[in-house]
Amino acid sequence: MPRSPSNNTLIPLLRKLSEKLGEQQAKNELRWMVDHVHAALDDSGQRQVSRLEKSAHRAARIWRDQPARSAAEVEQDNIRFSTVQWAWLRQAVSDRTEKHKPLQYILGNQPFGKANISLRPPVLIPRWETEEWMLRLVGMLNTHMESLSADGGKPRPLNILDACTGTGCIALGMACGLEPESAVISGIDIADEAIALAEENLALNSLLAKNKVQFHKLDLQSPDASSQLLEVQPCWDIVVSNPPYVTPSEYGQLDPDVKEWEDIRALVPMPYSTDPKTVNLKDLDPSGIAFIAHLAKLARDIGVSDNGVSKIAGTSIPRLVVEVGGKLQTEPVCQALHDHGFNSTEVWKDMAGNERVVLGYVKV
Amino acid sequence: MSAACRSGVRWLLQKSVCNIAGWRLYSAHPGAGTAATAAASKTGLPLGSELAGKSSLSARIHDKLRVLQSKHAVMAQRMSEDISTLSRDELAKISKDLSDASLVVTPYNRLLELYGELTELQQMIDSGDASLRSLAQEEKQEVLENVASCERDIISELLPKDSAEKAGAILEIRAGTGGDEASLFSGDLLHMYERYSQTKGWRIKPISMNKEGDMVKEVMVEILGRGVFGALMFESGVHRVQRVPATETQGRVHTSTATVAVLPHAADVQIEIKESDLRFEAFRASGKGGQHVNTTDSAVRITHIPTGIAVENQQERSQHKNKEKAMSVLRARLYAIERERVANERRESRNKLIGTGSRSEKCRTYNFSQNRVTDHRINFSLYDLEGVMNGSSLHHIIDQLRMQNDLNELTDMG
Repeated sequence: MPRSPSNNTLIPLLRKLSEKLGEQQAKNELRWMVDHVHAALDDSGQRQVSRLEKSAHRAARIWRDQPARSAAEVEQDNIRFSTVQWAWLRQAVSDRTEKHKPLQYILGNQPFGKANISLRPPVLIPRWETEEWMLRLVGMLNTHMESLSADGGKPRPLNILDACTGTGCIALGMACGLEPESAVISGIDIADEAIALAEENLALNSLLAKNKVQFHKLDLQSPDASSQLLEVQPCWDIVVSNPPYVTPSEYGQLDPDVKEWEDIRALVPMPYSTDPKTVNLKDLDPSGIAFIAHLAKLARDIGVSDNGVSKIAGTSIPRLVVEVGGKLQTEPVCQALHDHGFNSTEVWKDMAGNERVVLGYVKV
Repeated sequence: MSAACRSGVRWLLQKSVCNIAGWRLYSAHPGAGTAATAAASKTGLPLGSELAGKSSLSARIHDKLRVLQSKHAVMAQRMSEDISTLSRDELAKISKDLSDASLVVTPYNRLLELYGELTELQQMIDSGDASLRSLAQEEKQEVLENVASCERDIISELLPKDSAEKAGAILEIRAGTGGDEASLFSGDLLHMYERYSQTKGWRIKPISMNKEGDMVKEVMVEILGRGVFGALMFESGVHRVQRVPATETQGRVHTSTATVAVLPHAADVQIEIKESDLRFEAFRASGKGGQHVNTTDSAVRITHIPTGIAVENQQERSQHKNKEKAMSVLRARLYAIERERVANERRESRNKLIGTGSRSEKCRTYNFSQNRVTDHRINFSLYDLEGVMNGSSLHHIIDQLRMQNDLNELTDMG
């Protein structure tokens, strides 16, 4: 089949991507797209046709007394894309550059710890910072459980609440990383599409997750949120969360990659029963920590900061773990945690050096 | 025929030959210590070995084996004397060296005996008596088989024992002087090692690659399998190519180079890296991060502060996986440094054939117009360039290097 070479190289696509992303990152993203195309769009029907084609070519070569194709030529042929694959690649690059569609949505998945998370707009894409602290927390909990079981007896599984679970990435990442049957993790989210996607991801990672995971749709800001949570699980040990923390003024300046694609409810904290479509950003809390403060209060209401209920005290494991948006927020967040019974706090930085997570402990 | 019966026949044959021709009996079984000097001929090969046909042991290897043999004799002598004068440590060392050396020396002595037998048999064959000749021919075939198995024993004793040599390796190829042609040659080398690995059943995983078409500026791959490092450890060095490049229009021969570095894969070797000595950076990260941006830039750099070694990786979409990969590269680098340090200490005292493995020296030349590959460290030339470049003949060179190196190490004992 004759092909015009200019029409069938990756170079124009790379050039287009480079304008948006810079050369190095464009190369990386294009490589990941090509990997995806090879893995996901490997049309077996097409393959058979091309195999037939190949044997015809071979016969023609023998007939004309030409030498057999060299290894390099054969390899060249194998990396050739089918029409469907080309169409996908062109569409992907135009979505990426013109519509600012995030690569993770284009590829439809993102690895997160040991889990593989399936993605779909507008559910928040897991960030590497979240993955980083989640893994660090998992290591910490594993060490703790190990020392407990070394002291004698198998400890009961920890009941962990993942507030604002979104894709379910934190819940599933922890379920895959924690020692088998050391935790029961419940993911909560306000959005229907998030819960549906989280359930899909649970099914996708069911073989990897060594701990029980469940998802519930719930508005954590509703007045009876704490009683609903206690119905799900009467005794909570740890709350982890990547809650909305972008301030309204920051939201206006976000990249189109984020603003035009991801759910505003996952980014900017809003009061109970606000319609995100009609809300005036100027009316919202300017600090961005309103939801975190609410979460600290909720955590106290469901007994997480109460030593009597769960009997895990001290600084061996954190009881409330929340991601924050940098050093301006850590101080007020620490204060909010202290106000609701978490009498010791710690701040973790991420690999880029930003203050990223606040951990609240309950000391006796 | 049983062994006793066979030697009986031979003895009879010898007798008759001697009687007929009036030759003196050749001293067929010389003592182990004296055989080396007695048998040394001008070529450096022991007498009789030329009758054994194509041998995998070269003259230089025989030299080394003879040195080893005399060392063995000296050590055996010391052990047979009054061992009460030796300290406990000395005794332990000598007996260990002795047992190491005898693993090679015993089959070597047997080999020399076999060469002696061959010489006799050849004399009989040349003697002209038809009945004797056919018997001697038959006998010769058997001796030749024994010679081959003896050589195999010697070679297998010289094969890797170091645990690092059994492990996988990280192979790094960089184009040197020569511009595009050097990049093309780096690509050829990569191809060669890929094919060689395929024949050995090893798996290759790319770590980082800087290539355009056939031109490879710099590539780093991980090779997993048994004995990878042991086989490839001598590949480190400057590889030189002499050919008419594809980019040359006037048919002139160019000389270009590529450097190859092989590091042992440290996965199953214990080295200690303190967490506090490491600095992790998401090296293009800036700004607020977190929910504020949606980056696909997952590049990670790890710096080992005491040594100043920095490793970066951006192959994977997950920052976490990039970090793990970068860590394994860093571990391999640190391990290589440590290994190099230990090896340097040992190397001081020994006349090393293989060279330091550092990149400053030219180790091998690929001459396309003469269809020749020469390894300068052991002066070994192979006239099968195509076979080497497609990986099928590379093992001839590697085996030679391997053996020379092991012999050196053995003869340096004590």
